Amino acid sequence: MKRLFLNWNILARAFEIEMRQNLTDGFVVFGILIQPLIVAFMALWMLKGKGADNAIFVVVGSGMTGLWTTLLFNGGNSITGERGNGTLEPLVASPASMRVVVYGKVLANVTQSLLSMIGSYLLISLVMGYPLTLARPGLFVISLLVSVASLVSFGLILASLFILIPDFARMVNTLEFPIYILGGFLFPIALLPGWTTPLSYILTPYWAAVALHGAAQGTLEPLQIAGTWGIMAVFSLVYILGSGRLYRVILYKARTDATLDIVGN
Amino acid sequence: MMNRFFTNTRIFFEGAYYSYRALFRWLRPTTYLASKVLAPLTMMIFFVYIGAYASGSNNASFYVIGNSLIFAASSAIFGVTMSIGGERWSGTLPYLFGSPANRWAMFVGRAVMHIIDGMLGVFIGLGWGILLFKLDLSHTDPLALLLTILITTFSTSGLGLLMGCLSLITRNVMLVNNTVYFALLVFSGANIAISELPRWMQAVSNVLPLTRGVASTRTIVAGGSLADVLPMLEVEFLIGVVLTIMGYFFFKVFETQAKKMGTLDIF
Repeated sequence: MKRLFLNWNILARAFEIEMRQNLTDGFVVFGILIQPLIVAFMALWMLKGKGADNAIFVVVGSGMTGLWTTLLFNGGNSITGERGNGTLEPLVASPASMRVVVYGKVLANVTQSLLSMIGSYLLISLVMGYPLTLARPGLFVISLLVSVASLVSFGLILASLFILIPDFARMVNTLEFPIYILGGFLFPIALLPGWTTPLSYILTPYWAAVALHGAAQGTLEPLQIAGTWGIMAVFSLVYILGSGRLYRVILYKARTDATLDIVGN
Repeated sequence: MMNRFFTNTRIFFEGAYYSYRALFRWLRPTTYLASKVLAPLTMMIFFVYIGAYASGSNNASFYVIGNSLIFAASSAIFGVTMSIGGERWSGTLPYLFGSPANRWAMFVGRAVMHIIDGMLGVFIGLGWGILLFKLDLSHTDPLALLLTILITTFSTSGLGLLMGCLSLITRNVMLVNNTVYFALLVFSGANIAISELPRWMQAVSNVLPLTRGVASTRTIVAGGSLADVLPMLEVEFLIGVVLTIMGYFFFKVFETQAKKMGTLDIF
């Protein structure tokens, strides 16, 4: 029980510090607010022929792009950022669980990125004058919470891959749009070639988009939405269990190889 | 006099080569290819499919051409900006400003390799368009296309030089660069026909680089001749010249101010 309380405390501190640091980072502001708003504007303009009902689809979809961009660039760099700042060794040496610290940091990034959706909502509703209504508001809120939990768990894996596979971090720019595409954020994946569908199914951002689009537009029944929550819960469990193994490898490298601080190891 | 000319020419080309090499020295070939080949492709696919979802018809060439030209802006804005701003990050700016080298040769030379790189990016984008989206270039005048791409890359590099100057006075250069780059996606007509935009946005589009380059490329691919697009290319070139001169002017101003106030390395 004491350990649980300690971990909660560590998570809360990591969350707070990451949140404060992000507020001074211009690139975070870009990823959370500016880019999703530009994407929302473009998508709304491109899709305006599909009617005003489509506006809520654009709000959710462009919000998802902000969420993914933030998760990829900021969440992914949760550990490599510590290396850049020279604080990785103290982090590894401290008795606090590294996974809990990273979870707190990624949670802060994902929570902040929800501003993308709020920003898109305000732009499309207030500035552009489109009527926006959530078909199933209660289910939408629960979907949002489940999506956040699932994406944060995914972030744990991303952050560990960034440090364990330097080429993965170097190719980060190539990972942004593929998830926009495979996640079906702003168009249905049915438009894509059939062979890509299984790839979408194994991505938690896809299921988050399905749940949020379905609840926002009312295109899914409550049971179907609950089904996506179940899938995301399973993915989260897999990510958390998988991250345990990956973080053990990171700590092993840090303590045995002593190569953790060497960029490009 | 002749000696000075040769020295400036050497500074121009050596500056071009070394700044480019220094910018990408940390990249491995696979990473460079991923950034230059794969990342542009994924962005193009994203917008082509939104377009397909929007119209329900196959108008992929509109988005393929628009997004291919955007790759010129990508090299110009990010590459050129970092070639200049990187001096500050590397701590070499005081040496650069302390040297007697000709500022014009030093400043404009930074854009040369990125113009070549940007043109390559456009060709890669069009290549993906041919391979994946059946972009038809059978009616295209290759020389007119080449000239259009060259002028467009030059004009966007002018914007890059201007942005590069900003990187000497701001910490948030990536915020500014990314915002300008994404704004070009909207205003240049790459993904939305300019005629569909509100009037005030059309007015902004008209003074930006890239807008006429995108329109000219679409005309040429549709079978238009060089004569059809020449007036647009002249304005595109002029915009590039104006932006380059503005960039150089600010470069000189910031140099003078930084020297006066001793703030060359202060972020």
